Amino acid sequence: MSTTELIEVKPDAKFEDGDRELVEVNGVEVGVLRVDGEYYAVRNQCLHDCGPVAEGAIGKKLVGEFVEPGKRVEKEYDDDEPIISCPWHGWSYDLESGEQLADDDIVLPTYDVVVDDGVVYVDCQ
Amino acid sequence: MLESDETQPRQETLDEYYVIDGDCHYMESFHDVAEYMEEPWKTKFEGSNFDEKGAKQNLSSFFPFSTGDRQAHGKITREHSSYPDEPETPERIRDGMKSIGVDETLLISHLILSGAGTTADDDRQTAFAKAYVEYMLEEVLDPGDGIHGLAPIPYSDVDASLEILDRIEGEDAYVGACFVTAGATPPLGNRKYDPLYERCEELGLPAVFHTGGAGLDEYVRAGYQEMLETHTLGFLESNMSQIVSLVVQGVPEKFPDLDIVFMESGITYLPGLMARLDEEYLKRPEEAPLLEKKPGEYITDFYYGTQPLEVSAETEYLEKCFDLVGADSLMFASDYPHWDYDRPTTVTDLPFLSEDEKKQILSENAKEVFGL
Repeated sequence: MSTTELIEVKPDAKFEDGDRELVEVNGVEVGVLRVDGEYYAVRNQCLHDCGPVAEGAIGKKLVGEFVEPGKRVEKEYDDDEPIISCPWHGWSYDLESGEQLADDDIVLPTYDVVVDDGVVYVDCQ
Repeated sequence: MLESDETQPRQETLDEYYVIDGDCHYMESFHDVAEYMEEPWKTKFEGSNFDEKGAKQNLSSFFPFSTGDRQAHGKITREHSSYPDEPETPERIRDGMKSIGVDETLLISHLILSGAGTTADDDRQTAFAKAYVEYMLEEVLDPGDGIHGLAPIPYSDVDASLEILDRIEGEDAYVGACFVTAGATPPLGNRKYDPLYERCEELGLPAVFHTGGAGLDEYVRAGYQEMLETHTLGFLESNMSQIVSLVVQGVPEKFPDLDIVFMESGITYLPGLMARLDEEYLKRPEEAPLLEKKPGEYITDFYYGTQPLEVSAETEYLEKCFDLVGADSLMFASDYPHWDYDRPTTVTDLPFLSEDEKKQILSENAKEVFGL
């Protein structure tokens, strides 16, 4: 892996769950986040109205299950699907895929995050 | 007024006192009073369907009419007009169909349209709906001759509604179940109605949602003055509120084989509603977790009666509405014999529809959905 394709963020040891850092990747701002021990990177520009989505609330996808007619729909948060929501209007995206939760044709650019020799990088390819 | 009756019991006691009655009602007639009115009300009242007492078989006896007369105060006088004093007959239905150019028809109860506004008890609606089902079956419906029925569903009483659905199982004359959208509280996407949709789906009966005049004068707020206001807004509001409820609560996901039909609000409201709901959904999809696609896409999966079709709208705009809703989702509906009825010519005259699309809308979609 060529180091010229990687944008350095900060040392892995200093990245705690819930931390986020903004870096510039190919001329655009990208937010790098650590959520439940996993790294994610998304463009910090909401596809709705260019709000700072990478600075928004982290949550989990709420899923519903129709159990039987007449019963309440069972609703629970899916621990495996972290989401991020733009603080301006609440557009929410799957952190892993970048898909808008209401419309998977709308995809927020995401980036691979690598940890090399104790340092966190965004792969800008 | 009572006439003096010297033979009534205890007359001698009454004679001892001078009595003033603080509350006696004089049963004046609209016609008598109209003579003393200033214009334009004199002409309006004399020509209105309120007639002498406003308490006849016609609509004035049960629909609110403070915002006006459906026949526009005597302007609409055609044959087969709505709410005659004489009740409908099977012969008259056939005459009506012929008069507007219809070969097969789906009948709904016109009295049930006001039932949704009956909130004092649920017995009346249920009793009426059950009797209507039997009456129509026995005396009116004639599927072999193209006269089909939609069974009224008194949805406030789920058990009674299920009994009606059980009753019409296997009865070819009934091709769908009718839910009146006006007045439904809670809205019709609520889980309490799930068993009704489940049963309709099981029986292969489309759920036909029909807006109506119940509560029209005060459909959201009191104080409107003209039917032009309430009839435009109230019909839309009743249908829109139930469409939104059904979609957001996931009824099409719960019952994927249930055909859903909405009647009597034209079609131009649909693209606006789709856009409005999709816009909201993009911001708060977690509130509709059963949805697998955008709300607008469910809305175009539903079917819609075309009446009252907005034929006076700019052609390009109307064409766009047809494109967005889809000719495969539209069915001609007349609303016969009501004052704002449409003839099939409203569809055949549209310049942007192909011959195939006209046939789809005029009969083929209905054949498929209702199994005719």
